Amino acid sequence: MLVRIVMELEDVPGQLLKALEPISRFGGNIQSIMHQRERKTPLGRVPVMLVFEAADRVRLNRILAALRARGVRVTQLGEREGAVRATALLVGHIIHTDIRDTIDRLNALKGVMVSDLSLAMGDLGKESTARMTITADDEKRANLAISSLQRIADRKKLLMITSLEAG
Amino acid sequence: MRIVLIGFGNLGRGLSRAFIQKAGFLRETHGLIPRVVAAVDEFGAAVDEKGLNLVGLLNAAENKGTVTAYEGGKRGKTALDIIENVEADVIYELTPTNIKTGEPGLTHIKRAMLAGKHVITSNKGPLVVAFRELDSLAKKCGVEFRYSASVGGAVPVIGLARKLLAGNEIREIRGVLNGTTNYILTRMSTEGAPFEIVLREAQELGIAEKAPTLDIRGIDTACKITILANSLLGMNAKLGDVRVTGINRISPEAIRLAKEAGQTIKLIGIARRGLLEVGPKLVPLGHPLAVSGALNAVTFELDLAREISITGFGAGPKETSSSLLGDLIDIHRTLGG
Repeated sequence: MLVRIVMELEDVPGQLLKALEPISRFGGNIQSIMHQRERKTPLGRVPVMLVFEAADRVRLNRILAALRARGVRVTQLGEREGAVRATALLVGHIIHTDIRDTIDRLNALKGVMVSDLSLAMGDLGKESTARMTITADDEKRANLAISSLQRIADRKKLLMITSLEAG
Repeated sequence: MRIVLIGFGNLGRGLSRAFIQKAGFLRETHGLIPRVVAAVDEFGAAVDEKGLNLVGLLNAAENKGTVTAYEGGKRGKTALDIIENVEADVIYELTPTNIKTGEPGLTHIKRAMLAGKHVITSNKGPLVVAFRELDSLAKKCGVEFRYSASVGGAVPVIGLARKLLAGNEIREIRGVLNGTTNYILTRMSTEGAPFEIVLREAQELGIAEKAPTLDIRGIDTACKITILANSLLGMNAKLGDVRVTGINRISPEAIRLAKEAGQTIKLIGIARRGLLEVGPKLVPLGHPLAVSGALNAVTFELDLAREISITGFGAGPKETSSSLLGDLIDIHRTLGG
C-alpha cells in the first residue's frame, strides 16, 4: 500500500532522520519527501510530506507507533491503496521552462502527485532530460495527469516520452 | 510462372539469388518454376520470353551496373513497355519508394493490374499514397496483389495477421518497424554515445542511409503504420493521419534515466482505430518490443489470442527475399498450384 503522511518536524538538524528511521526499519520504501517550508506552523515547525510504500497495515501501524514514540507529530495520513504510477521522460529546456511550475500544475490535480523526479542536465545550451513519476489514485486520474503533462510539454516545447503501456 | 522484375537494385538482385538457390526446392516442394522473362532498371531492360539466365543477369547488373548489359539487353526500354508487351503472370514492382507521389511504382502497379497481371511489391510509396485504390483495382481486374515485404522486411507481419490470426479481431498493432533507428537507439544505450556520433557510425556501416531523414524523423515507420492500418485494420488512412515524432532529440542521458527505471527507449509505431502514432516510447526491458540492433518486432493485440509478438530481420536483400518469395508461393497456391 502506498501511504502519504504529513508530519510536523522541528526546524533543527537531525529531525528528518529521526522520522525516517522507523519507516525503513519496518520495511517501508520511501518514494518522496517534500519539505513545505512556506507553510511553517506558528510554533516554527515545518510540515514534511512523505510518501512511502508499506507492505501491509500491520507494518504501517508499527511505523506510526514508532513515530509517535519519537515525538513526531503526524498531522495527515492517507492510504493510497490501488494507487497507479506512471512514468514519463521529458526532453528539452526543462529548467528554463520552469520545472517547478510543471510539477505544481500536476500536483494541483485531484488525486495526483508527482512522486519522483530525476534530472540529467545536458551540456551548456543543450537539452536536459527529466524522468518523472506520477502517482495517482486510480487509472483514470493517471491518464488525466499524463494528458495534462502532455499539454504542458507541448506548450513548453518539451518532448514527452510516455510508457508504451500507457495507451 | 512467368515473372517480370521492375527494378533491379538490392531487392531485385536478392530475389534473383533466392530463385537460383531455391530452384530445386520450389519445384519439388511447391511445384513452382519461376521463370524471369524480363528485368527492367532505369537504363532499359533484358527480355527473354523463354526465361533469362539469372546468373548472367546478376553478372551484367553487378559488373556493368545495368541489366541492359545482359545479352540482347535493350537500352531505353521502359517498365511500361515491358508491362504491356511481355507475356507474364506476375510483376514484381521493386523500384525505390517515393512517399509523396508513389511514382513510378504506382503507375507500374496500376498498368500491370489493368493488363491482368498479378502484382507483388516491396514499394511503400504506392501503398501509402493509394492503398484503397490499388486494393479495389486488383479485385476489379481479378488479379492477386501482395505486399508483405513493404512492412517488416523478413518478418511476416501481414501474412501472420491475415492468415494465421484470421479468426481474431485485431485491436492494436504496435511495433519497432525501422531497423536504422533501432540500431541507433541500441548503440546509444550500450555505448552512452550521443545521437550524432552513432548516426555517423551507422552511416559508415551502411545501416543508415546518407539521407537518413525519413528514418530518424519517424516517417518510414509512419508509412508502415499507414500500410498496416489500411491492410489489417480496414482503415482508409493517409500518411498525414499519423502523428509522428522522431528520435533526433533523444540523448544518452534520456536512455540512462529510462534504464534506471527498468525501461528502454524505442521508436514505436502504433495503429488502432482512432489512433495512428509514431514516436519514442518507454518500453520495459525484457518486453517483446525491446529488441536490439537492427531487428524489427511487432505485437498484435487480439480479442481471442490476446497478444502475439514476432521478431526478425527488418531489412537486407536476402532477408527481404523471404517475404518476396513467400508472396509468390502464396499466389501460386491461391491459383491452385
